[in-house]
This record gives sequence, C-alpha cells and structure tokens, in this order.
Amino acid sequence: MKRLEAERATCLHGKTGSAPAIEMKNIVVRFEAKTVLDGFSLRLMPGEKLVLTGESGVGKSTVLKCILGFVIPAEGEIFIQGKRLTHDSVWTLRTLLSYVPQEPELGDGTLHEWFRSPFFFRANTSLRNNLDRLPGFLERFSLSQELLHKEVGALSGGEKQRAALISAILLERKIFLLDEPTSALDSKNGKKVLEFLFANPDVSILAVSHDHAFLDEADRVVELSARGGKNAY
Amino acid sequence: MHTEEIGLWALSSYYALLIIPLGLMIWLRIPIIGKTLSAVARMTLQLLFVGFYLQIVFSLNSPWINGLWLVVMVAVADFSIVRGCGLRLRRFLFPLFVALVGGTALPLLVFVGPLLNRPMLMDAQYVIPIGGMILGNCLRADIIGIRSFYEAMNQREKAFLYTLSQGARLHEAIRPYLRHACRAALLPTVATMATIGLVALPGMMTGVILGGADPMTAIKYQISIMIAIFTGTSITVVLAILMSVRGSFGPYGILDPLAFRS
Repeated sequence: MKRLEAERATCLHGKTGSAPAIEMKNIVVRFEAKTVLDGFSLRLMPGEKLVLTGESGVGKSTVLKCILGFVIPAEGEIFIQGKRLTHDSVWTLRTLLSYVPQEPELGDGTLHEWFRSPFFFRANTSLRNNLDRLPGFLERFSLSQELLHKEVGALSGGEKQRAALISAILLERKIFLLDEPTSALDSKNGKKVLEFLFANPDVSILAVSHDHAFLDEADRVVELSARGGKNAY
Repeated sequence: MHTEEIGLWALSSYYALLIIPLGLMIWLRIPIIGKTLSAVARMTLQLLFVGFYLQIVFSLNSPWINGLWLVVMVAVADFSIVRGCGLRLRRFLFPLFVALVGGTALPLLVFVGPLLNRPMLMDAQYVIPIGGMILGNCLRADIIGIRSFYEAMNQREKAFLYTLSQGARLHEAIRPYLRHACRAALLPTVATMATIGLVALPGMMTGVILGGADPMTAIKYQISIMIAIFTGTSITVVLAILMSVRGSFGPYGILDPLAFRS
C-alpha cells in the first residue's frame, strides 16, 4: 500500500494541469433516516489509480453510484472531466465512464449477445469494430471461446466479472469505476486484470477494493470512515 | 334476422340455477358466497343500467352521444388499469387514457369504416359493442403488460442500471423489459387465435349467430374482431408502457418508487 489516507488526504499534485477526471464536492447522501455520506469530497486526477477502502456500509459503493447518477445526493456537486453532473448531462457523462459492478447481472441471452448489445446503443455504435478485439481479450483473461455460446445466467461469478471487465475495456472509456472487481477471481486472474488496468497511464481508475494487490498498486488509497470520509483530496 | 326474446319471468326463474353453485360452495365451505351474491347483484344492476342507457343511445344514434359513451368506457378502463397496476392515479391517468384511445380508435374505425362500409362511423349498433370488445381486451392486456414490465424492472434493477452505465439511453435500456412485457401481454390473444373455434365458439360469433345470421357471416365477423383485438392490444400495450415510463422514471433514468402506490 503506497499510502493510506484516513479522513484527510493530501492533494495529488503530480497530474494536475487538466480538469480532474472526477471531482466530488461536499456530497451528502441519506437513505431515509441514515446518512451514508456526510460532506464527502474526492478528486481523481487524469491517469490516477485510486482505491476506496473501508468497512462495510460506510458508503464506498454509494460513491460510485453517485458518480453514475444512480444515487442522487441530497447536497453537493459532482464533476466529471470538468462537467457538472446534472439530469441533463448525466446521459453524456455516463459515456465517459466504465463501470464494473461487484456482482455483474448480465440479463438474458448468450455471452456473445451480451458483449454485442452495448455496441447497438447510439452512444457506442462508432466503437462496434472493437468487437474484433474480443477473442484476444477472452484469451488474455483466461475465458474460453466456447463461453460465448453459453447463457449468461449459467456463468460463474468470476466469469461474469471478467466478462464485465472485458466489456468495460472494449467500450474504451477513460474513467473506470470498479466495485470489488477481483472479488470473485482467483489470485492469478486477479493479477492479470490488475496488471492490464493499471498499465494504461491514460485511464483513471476509482476502485472499491479490499484486495491487497489492488491496494499495493494504487496511486492513492482512501479509507472511508463511518462518517463518510470527508475531504479525500 | 330474428332473435328469440327472453321473458322477464323466464329470466328471473333462470337465476334459480345459481342455487347449484351456491349449494356447492356451502357444501365445500368455499368462502366466497358473499362475494358471489354481491357479484351477481352488481352484474344485474350494471347490465340493467347499461341496457336502459344503451336503448336510449341506440334509439338516438347520435354520433356525439355514441362518442361520449366510448370516452366513458375508455375512462373506466383507464381507471381500472391504473388501480390494477398499483400506479399513482394523478401521474398515470392521462397517459394511459391516451394509450387506450390510440389502441382502440384505429382498429375500431377501420372496422366500422372501410370493412363494414357503414355510412356513419359512429353508428351505435357497431361502435359500442365492437369498441367494448376491443377495449375489454386492451384493459386485460395493459394490466398484464404494465405489471410484467415493472415487476421485471424491479427484479432485474441491477442489470438495468448496468445497461445505463454502458451508455444506454432510457429507451434503449428498457427495451428488454418492454419486449418481455409485450410478450406476456400478447401471448393470451395469440393463444386464443390459435385455438379459436376448436375449444369453444367465441363470443362475437355466438352473438351474430343468435342474431340470426348464417355461420359464414359470423365467422367473418369473428376473424375481423380477432384482428381488431390483436391490433388494438398490441398498440395499446406498447403505448401504455412507453407513456407510463415518462411518469415512472426520474430524470437520471432511475425508477421512481413514488410512482407506485405500494
């Protein structure tokens, strides 16, 4: 672990000069009576690899969901590549992000159909040629070609997780939001995923993870406390 | 054409047949006797009321009154759908009304106009019974479709959110759930079409035969009404789900729990 930051982390000045990949300012999230994030702030610089850690229920996944517009903060502002996240901008800003959930739910159909489906969304049609790279990524992440014809519901947790990572990579986003991306992987496959993701200097990563390999490789580690980890700059 | 008249006393005596199902309920202790008696009473009163009203409507045969009656029928169906699907009245009453009008109007007007060549489109003898049949089926299909759609959305919310995260717009992300809901709503009509005539003589055909027409004429009517019902339910289910989406999702594309009563 390069650095472990509790509540007050120092600014990462090394990669400034352009707008932060993600900036969260004084975010307050309440679920009914419970305050999950209370004045939480965070800045992820372009190319930075930041890992959020902390006990269960402190709001790590909620941070990612706020950035995706799945949870609407009661207070605070979120900026993605300098653009404020609003109900108008969310649809465009989501196309800058790649999200890998902890337990990806892939819906119905075969894995091949599932890989193809996002490339039929208007936002991704220009990337359709990236599907040509799919066999290479399957091999890299130790998934057999035969799996493509299997129903997604029949895949194991690890296979789903790797499929979600491959899909995220094929969509060529510059910001990755990863929620325990190696939790269902063995150490060998987890390492492969980690090495690939962290090798690209242009990609910013905000990951929720307890995986020591992830924590060790991260530029920064932010530990969220029960009060929501204020000012993680 | 001649239809045998049912006398008032004869009809009243026919109610005595209900002693058999009621007796079975008592014997088997099926706890729906009260509900059954209430339903029989409601059926009688409602049909008597409609009968009297329709006699006036038929004798006047004013296109405005006939149109107004159709609007009332749509409004009642609309109310039943919104309540039956557990949706908030204020948000969904109008959009689902529009969906029902859209789904019912096209097959009904094509039926009465180009198919039957009636000089008056709003002829009570045709628009009210045919409109009622289309509307009744639209109501059932809408309830199945809307419920299936939101149940699937709730059960597979994670997959839906994941699709949004991959850059899908709302209309793109809901498509698998729309497909699932339309399938569930339309399958009963498809199954009915596949077995019609083999299992039982359908209602309209029976009515036309009882009205004194020959069976071939009745069959033509039945085929036409099945096409009208299938077209109407298809249009109304798709429209109803798409129009309900505007009120049930927030501006960030997330399902709004406040759109539902429970």
